[in-house]
Amino acid sequence: MISKVLIANRGEIALRIILACKEMGLKTVAVHSEADRDALHVRYADEDVCIGPAPSRQSYLSISSIIAAAEITGADAIHPGYGFLAENAHFAEIANECRLTFIGPTPEAIRLMGDKAKARETAKKSGVPILPGSEGPVKTHGEALDVARVIGFPVILKAAAGGGGRGLRICGAESDLQGAFDTARSEADRAFGSADVYVEKYLERPRHIEIQVFGDTHGRIVSLGERECSIQRRHQKLIEESPSPVITQELREQMGEAAVKLCRAVNYTNAGTIEFLFQDGQFYFMEMNTRIQVEHPVTEEVTSMDLVKEQIRVAAGGHLSAPNGFFRLRGHAMEFRINAEDPVTFAPHPGRIREFHVPGGPGVRVDTAAYRDYIIPPHYDSMIAKLIVRGKDREETLARGRRALDLFIIEGVKTSIPLHRAILDEPRFIRGDISTRFMEEFEW
Amino acid sequence: MNFKEIVELIEKVAELGVGEVEIEQAGTKLRIQGKPTPPAQVMSQFAVAHPAMQQAIAPPAAPVPQLPAKAEEPEETDSGLHIITSPIVGTFYRAANPESEPFITVGDHVSKGKVLCIIEAMKLMNEIESDIDGEIVKIFPQNGQPVEYGEQLFAVRL
Repeated sequence: MISKVLIANRGEIALRIILACKEMGLKTVAVHSEADRDALHVRYADEDVCIGPAPSRQSYLSISSIIAAAEITGADAIHPGYGFLAENAHFAEIANECRLTFIGPTPEAIRLMGDKAKARETAKKSGVPILPGSEGPVKTHGEALDVARVIGFPVILKAAAGGGGRGLRICGAESDLQGAFDTARSEADRAFGSADVYVEKYLERPRHIEIQVFGDTHGRIVSLGERECSIQRRHQKLIEESPSPVITQELREQMGEAAVKLCRAVNYTNAGTIEFLFQDGQFYFMEMNTRIQVEHPVTEEVTSMDLVKEQIRVAAGGHLSAPNGFFRLRGHAMEFRINAEDPVTFAPHPGRIREFHVPGGPGVRVDTAAYRDYIIPPHYDSMIAKLIVRGKDREETLARGRRALDLFIIEGVKTSIPLHRAILDEPRFIRGDISTRFMEEFEW
Repeated sequence: MNFKEIVELIEKVAELGVGEVEIEQAGTKLRIQGKPTPPAQVMSQFAVAHPAMQQAIAPPAAPVPQLPAKAEEPEETDSGLHIITSPIVGTFYRAANPESEPFITVGDHVSKGKVLCIIEAMKLMNEIESDIDGEIVKIFPQNGQPVEYGEQLFAVRL
């Protein structure tokens, strides 16, 4: 049983979890840094504990402070949200040892799928299509070259322990490989504490399509359809939608089956996402995220499920509420990440929000922890809101997106709203003819 | 609430140097804003005391420019007292174990490095030392009470 949940996060996701807890009649504990005293998650939680100074390392990433906060408040479960400690197997382990229910997968599953090379290996063994590449990390430049010659250039070098788009190097020709190999290794070492890199075939114009999966502790694992997340810049997603304009029900079922197979191989429980690259009708396993995703509302809107409540129910030992068989997605949904940043240069723009007006009307949802006069601290992520629109089809969804963005007023800081608005008028986006290269080529 | 009670409340707010009081009662809302104006002399004293305190208390980390945190505000209003705040989240204990004497009591003179209390976090007993020489004039938390990061533990007269 879970009765009091500590939320080890901040911002909109902390608030999202509090909302789910309120609907389930659970008590909530917010933790916060000194910079977040006036944050909404602190105000809306039943209890709050200041766990450290502004820098994340000493607050939101401090395992001992968070566990201590759970102890002094008598919380019996921890929801890690996304980012921060969400994919830290050690944190999940300590929580379990302290008899706190970790609302997420097991530490073993986090550890296994968090190591990209091991995840790839597991996918291969389970018969999930992967991009041709090295078997595990390559130790030397010579080894990398051998692999690259077999699979053909261009290739991509990836940090085994990486994530969030860091530690990646694309290499177009043999002559560039030495440099790319050295940089990728030192970057990986600096960013993740491990210099291990592996080599993979590089797709020129792939789509990023991911499958939402969910497992319970009774051995049931389901796929909840896909999200198309090809609109990214520097590997950070900007717009996500479901269903993807190119995925047929047949492909959806194939990808869903592959995703479930992989989850079964690691006895996966709770919410997870299997990311695939998709090009020319083929999908290839890229990586797994062992947490709730930023873009989970897109799936919620087309499946009518509350994924955060489902996470809590499943963590408490409950059965998945999803019906058997493959999901038929209903309608269309799209999410726009509103960041406090210059829409042209993408430079973060912290500061005071002087005016904040959220759009409404049919099919519009806004997940945010911002408000008028809120001061966006410079210490954390620049995402201040997620605008999610839903329509009966993609066309209606696009129209709703345009009018909702027009009515979303944020003054005092620069935001990505004008960028999203411009993307919605781009003919290629309207046609659904997109790839992960879209933002590189987009001019406005 | 009648006029007399309001006046009394205003006087009390001024006397205690409280920043702000808000009361809502039977449809009436009252807000009294005080003016905490610490003497300039005291401010300069803190300018000296502050770096020492941060060195002793802050976990080993690169020096980060500290934001003016709410938890530290009372230092300025508490007329010349040095406040020792909690460096971690946990449970406050005045003694090493339930049978032994408290590490310190009000009126004790302490010197820098003297153990003042224990804060238990994750079954670990963390000894909190004084970062300054002086006399303990106040112990804020009760024994066994949970404390958060930055919460006031002791007031020390230099």
